[in-house]
Amino acid sequence: MRSRNDWVIWAFLAAGLAVTVAFVLVPVGHAIVLSLQQADSFISTPRFVGLANYARVLGEEAFWRAAGNGLIYSGLSIVLQVLLGLGFAMVLNEAFPGQRLVRGLAVLPYLLPTVVVALTFQWMTDGSFGIVTVLLAELGLGPIPWFERPDTAMASVVLASVWLWTPFVTICVLAGLQGIPLSLYEAARVDGAGAFARFWHITLPQLRPVLTVVVLLRAIWMFNKFDIIWLLTKGGPLGATEHLPILAYKRAFSQFDVGGGAAVATLSFLILTALVMLYFRLFPLEEKR
Amino acid sequence: MSGVRSTRLLGRAGIGFAALVIAAWSLFPIYWMVVSSFRAPNALFTRPSMIPGPFSLESYETLLQVTDYPVQFRNSLIVASSVVAITIVLSVMIAYAVTRFRVPGKTLIIGTMLYAYMFPPMLLAIPLYGIFVTLGIADSLIALVIAHCTLTLPLGVWLLWGFFKAMPFELEEAAMVDGCTRLGSFLRVVLPLSLPGIVTVAVFAFLLSWTDYAYALVMISSDTQKTLPVGIASMIGAFDMRWGEIMAGASLIAAPLFLMFMFLSRYFIQGLSAGAMKG
Repeated sequence: MRSRNDWVIWAFLAAGLAVTVAFVLVPVGHAIVLSLQQADSFISTPRFVGLANYARVLGEEAFWRAAGNGLIYSGLSIVLQVLLGLGFAMVLNEAFPGQRLVRGLAVLPYLLPTVVVALTFQWMTDGSFGIVTVLLAELGLGPIPWFERPDTAMASVVLASVWLWTPFVTICVLAGLQGIPLSLYEAARVDGAGAFARFWHITLPQLRPVLTVVVLLRAIWMFNKFDIIWLLTKGGPLGATEHLPILAYKRAFSQFDVGGGAAVATLSFLILTALVMLYFRLFPLEEKR
Repeated sequence: MSGVRSTRLLGRAGIGFAALVIAAWSLFPIYWMVVSSFRAPNALFTRPSMIPGPFSLESYETLLQVTDYPVQFRNSLIVASSVVAITIVLSVMIAYAVTRFRVPGKTLIIGTMLYAYMFPPMLLAIPLYGIFVTLGIADSLIALVIAHCTLTLPLGVWLLWGFFKAMPFELEEAAMVDGCTRLGSFLRVVLPLSLPGIVTVAVFAFLLSWTDYAYALVMISSDTQKTLPVGIASMIGAFDMRWGEIMAGASLIAAPLFLMFMFLSRYFIQGLSAGAMKG
């Protein structure tokens, strides 16, 4: 219905869009401009250098190592989150005393700020007085150099990430499980299908739309994740956990290579875009309605 | 018959055991954080015991009296509440306009919002910092509020767009036929009905802002302007491993989030299933 006071809508739209453009699109545009310039700091006068920053960054071994580390980190942590979240959700979907309470508890890690998780994990794995260290020692194991050695640091960072972000998968899959009609399971049981067959032929196909979206969202976030790795290892030791977000941060804010940092950030966004498009090709999102 | 029954019983025991493992896995680090914060600091550096005690508030007293923690708590509150307010007002305006009117480029607007989900934090943080330096507002809470809004606005528009789309137009039209202006029908009909959506947006905007570390690390350098996550992380170097105070600080950052979850968990779960996320 058209009415004479539609100006309200236009005013809403104009005001909202102006702010969104200023808050979201201007920074991204500015990032691309920065990546084409050479500047020694944020206050010095920049000089236009074309694609020189990109050429320089792409020629460095550090960039490719960071890209590889990023794929290992996000790949491992996504697979573990999804497997664990799927398992947790299937247990929490069963009836047992205290079900509501345990469902609530299973969400708690996801509420925590990353910094709280990083500090708590560092305290628990403290070399002398950490509870995990002490318990392992009682079993005759360890000490494990969680964040100190290149080979263990990546695994430790993945472990902390999985603990923190699995609940998102659990919640989404649990909602998906509750949407599966029970009649499907009854029919399968009548046909003599065992527990595994029911899981494989009913549960997984029915969860497919949920899982497709969950994996996509988790992949985007894990690929861009900066804070947990920075807090736990700062990309070390010896660059073993340095991925593209950390490389971009170090370039721009500790080496004051603003152009290089902006170029790394832009490249990492391009890689992510390509990966997401590949994902859509492999797993098209089904329109439900 | 008894064979079937005992398999059932075994299955139920298995589920119960698995549920216990899930509870322990999820709760233990949180339990240990809180237990450590209430333990006498000198007892932290002996052989640790799983059982709480000896009880002491010393870590909290030191934290609140000696460090900048109270100032940083205030900073976090100012930033988070400003972000929530700005996000609600702007995303309600955009989402309402986009659903109620033939706006040219509507899909482009919504598409951009989704695309913004994918921006790496540094792709926004590096240029924003450059802009703030030029404007002379770097290292201020205003800078951080703007930076957080780049995360929360796309999320808010996306959530409320789904919400307004589902709300029947007839309700407002009836109000307008009865003599309400467009603004009147918006304020008296649409807003009250969309309250659950608005609460969901508020919950997530608060979560994102309160827990953010990356943007605050980039934007803020002086101690008096730091928010809690950056403030507590810098205690690691400053104090030589004062784990009692650090765990007390960590518990206090987490407390408002747990409280919020207790009272607003419905909105939190609803937001997650509508595609809202925090990290």
